[in-house]
Amino acid sequence: MFFTDHELNFKGYNNRFMENKVKIKIDGLSFSYGEHPVLNNITARFSENTITAIVGPSGKGKTTFLMTLNRLWESIPEARIEGKVEIRFSDRFYNIYEPSYPLPRLRRLVGMVFQVPNPLPMSIYKNVGFPLKLAGLKDRNHISMKVETALKRAFLWEEVKDRLTDDALALSGGQQQRLCIARALILEPEILLLDEPTSSLDAGAGAVIEELLLSLKSRCTLLMVSHYLDQLKRIADTVMELSEGKFISGFAGDEKNIPPIPAAREGEK
Amino acid sequence: MNRVLEKSVTGFSWICAMVLLGTVFCIVGYLLIKGLGTINITLIFGETDPKDALFFRKQVFDGLFPAILGTFALVVLSVSFAIPIGFAAGIYMAEYCRGIVKRIFSLFFDILAGIPSIVVGLFGFSVAIFLHNYFSSRIYPCLLISALSLAFLVLPYLIRTTQVSLENLPEDIRRTAPALGATKLQNIFHVLIPRSLSGIASGVILSIGRCAEDTAVIMLTGVVATAGVPKSVFSNYEALPFYIYYISSQYSDKQKLLSGYGAAIILLVICGLLFAIAFFIKHRLTYHVLYRP
Amino acid sequence: MKLIDHSIEKFFWIAAVLSLSITVLIFGFMVILGFPLFKGGQFFELLSQPWLPDYGTYGIYHMIVGTLSIAFIGLVFAFPLSLGCSAFISVLGPKRFGQILKKTVQMMTGIPTVIYGFVGIFLLVPIIRELFEHGSGMCILSASILLAILISPTMILFFSDSFDQVPKPFLDAVDALGGNKAQKILYVILPYSLRGVITGLVLALGRAMGDTMIALMVAGNAVALPDSVLDSARTLTAHIALIIAADFESLEFKTLFACGIILYLFTTFITLSVRSFDLMPWRRK
Repeated sequence: MFFTDHELNFKGYNNRFMENKVKIKIDGLSFSYGEHPVLNNITARFSENTITAIVGPSGKGKTTFLMTLNRLWESIPEARIEGKVEIRFSDRFYNIYEPSYPLPRLRRLVGMVFQVPNPLPMSIYKNVGFPLKLAGLKDRNHISMKVETALKRAFLWEEVKDRLTDDALALSGGQQQRLCIARALILEPEILLLDEPTSSLDAGAGAVIEELLLSLKSRCTLLMVSHYLDQLKRIADTVMELSEGKFISGFAGDEKNIPPIPAAREGEK
Repeated sequence: MNRVLEKSVTGFSWICAMVLLGTVFCIVGYLLIKGLGTINITLIFGETDPKDALFFRKQVFDGLFPAILGTFALVVLSVSFAIPIGFAAGIYMAEYCRGIVKRIFSLFFDILAGIPSIVVGLFGFSVAIFLHNYFSSRIYPCLLISALSLAFLVLPYLIRTTQVSLENLPEDIRRTAPALGATKLQNIFHVLIPRSLSGIASGVILSIGRCAEDTAVIMLTGVVATAGVPKSVFSNYEALPFYIYYISSQYSDKQKLLSGYGAAIILLVICGLLFAIAFFIKHRLTYHVLYRP
Repeated sequence: MKLIDHSIEKFFWIAAVLSLSITVLIFGFMVILGFPLFKGGQFFELLSQPWLPDYGTYGIYHMIVGTLSIAFIGLVFAFPLSLGCSAFISVLGPKRFGQILKKTVQMMTGIPTVIYGFVGIFLLVPIIRELFEHGSGMCILSASILLAILISPTMILFFSDSFDQVPKPFLDAVDALGGNKAQKILYVILPYSLRGVITGLVLALGRAMGDTMIALMVAGNAVALPDSVLDSARTLTAHIALIIAADFESLEFKTLFACGIILYLFTTFITLSVRSFDLMPWRRK
């Protein structure tokens, strides 16, 4: 749930949502690519086990914002960051930019799903099991169990259980995206970042993914970039608009006040 | 096991990088240490006055001047042969050739590119003998034959660079002139070639380098250790790379050996310069073509 | 105007045909001039016999062994070195340092082989001689080492290009899943570029077999069959360079054409193999 101390007083906010503990704390976050500022002194809080949708004009930093949470921007030259990002793991807040915080560990706890599905050039089974390989897991039975669980959680098991050795690139777009979600889930991340997860898919495939995301709420905290008005209404607990490098408006609650999105972008893509 | 592999991969690549850099450093450093001292006018012109040598008034006996001149003449001749044919064939491949015919040509050019230089030299030698027996007994392995053979050597490279440079042009550039009524040929000469000039130019420069540095071909087709400045294309000649080889096996005294080092440095500088020019042209011209209005 | 156009276009075609015919002619000349060897059925004998002019045997078998051993051992040195360097340039090394290495490697491709031979004679050979105390130092090992240095730059650039062509989504996926650089190259980049790596390797083999100067200057040129890498050997290429001074009409000389044919066939085979890699369906995408 996003709120400044300022707005707390105004909006009289809902106790029910206070029950969800804060999972991500962001203070004074600023980000720039070389000379161009992208995020401007952002302060926000995200609650555990919620789906937060991030909307806003294209190319204005939504993806960048997601990347500040798993430090994926660090391979881009001339990118600079200021401010503090803290995430609560096992009841303690960790500053994830502390040099001593191991990057691989962060990325296992904070998973990411990309806009265009990017299965690796391997079989379905190997794709989903890949993170386990990176983590050094060797036990075949253990791996096979985890792969099955992950695929089930991603609503993909039934469709692929008989062809786990097939090339992952041969799956349909929607299946590939669910595969990527399964792959991100296998290490049981506590946060899942999704960058327009359904925008490269048709409506039917998108609907399956939406249902899937709802089912994941109980295990993860989800942050999702989206352009689809309907989608936001259906599954988001909170909607935040990122504009001019800052979050504006966006509230949770029964009213589900969706900030006005310029008509030109409705139903886009 | 995986963990061990992962950890050692990075270390291994560092070792390889160090080994390679160290090797280059050693080779170039060794040459410089041994040979830099010999670089002076005497190395090139021997006892002869440079002015006399440059105007061909007197022969140079103890210097590298004939060899340098020989290499120069060789390069000029062979590139003059190779460029027209190479360009033309490259244009043919890129613009006029399709399907199975293109595959066949491409195959043969690849085969030509793979033939060892000594075999090309042997061919050149055989051609010389053939001409000697059947046309004129005055024909022997000579500058002309060497230049021809070197031309054969770099031909596939020129063809390929021309072809690739032309083929890499984006579709919309290809369609502009024809849409305005230009013929295929006009399109090629007025639009396509100027736009691929950087790729073609760098290919030419690298071919020049190849001709300057080759030893195997010229060994079989007319280069000798002492011939002075080449009198005509039908005469024997000297060349830098051969001088270096010859010295290494036949040096009579320390001074001669040191001159070999000097020659090696000069050859290295020439090739390095050519390479740098090719690189520079490729990048500069690309900038001009893509960014200037 | 039309006639000029037509002639120019004809010229393009002629140039291409001319170039093609040179490829054929080279082989043709070898075969025709070496014909006396075929007539007597001696060609295949030649391939398996040693070179003993005093006994009238002009077999090139030992030279074939020389060529193959120097080339293969050279590759044994060059291949891991090239893989390591290209992995360094593309992924594992710090960016700045990787670029420096790449520039250095690019410059190395311009170094003439005769220079490697020259430095080899005066720098490497004495070291090998002192180190192993066997023979003169002019041997297969010295030649292989120099050859490895010769062919590595091209291989490194080739591998590096292959690595750089791995689609970015795959690299992003590994990053997002918490993989490190070593894992990235071992589990994704290398398997994906396998075909490119093999192509580079085969091309380097062709280059190694065709080199003359290094073998000529540093391998010793003895005609006896080498027993170990510390023995002197002669390659087909060096043999051609050495025997060229012989009488053109003699049988001795004719064997040079046999050498030429063998070399031509070796390298053509390599060219064909590399081309067939492109036609094989190794990957679906």
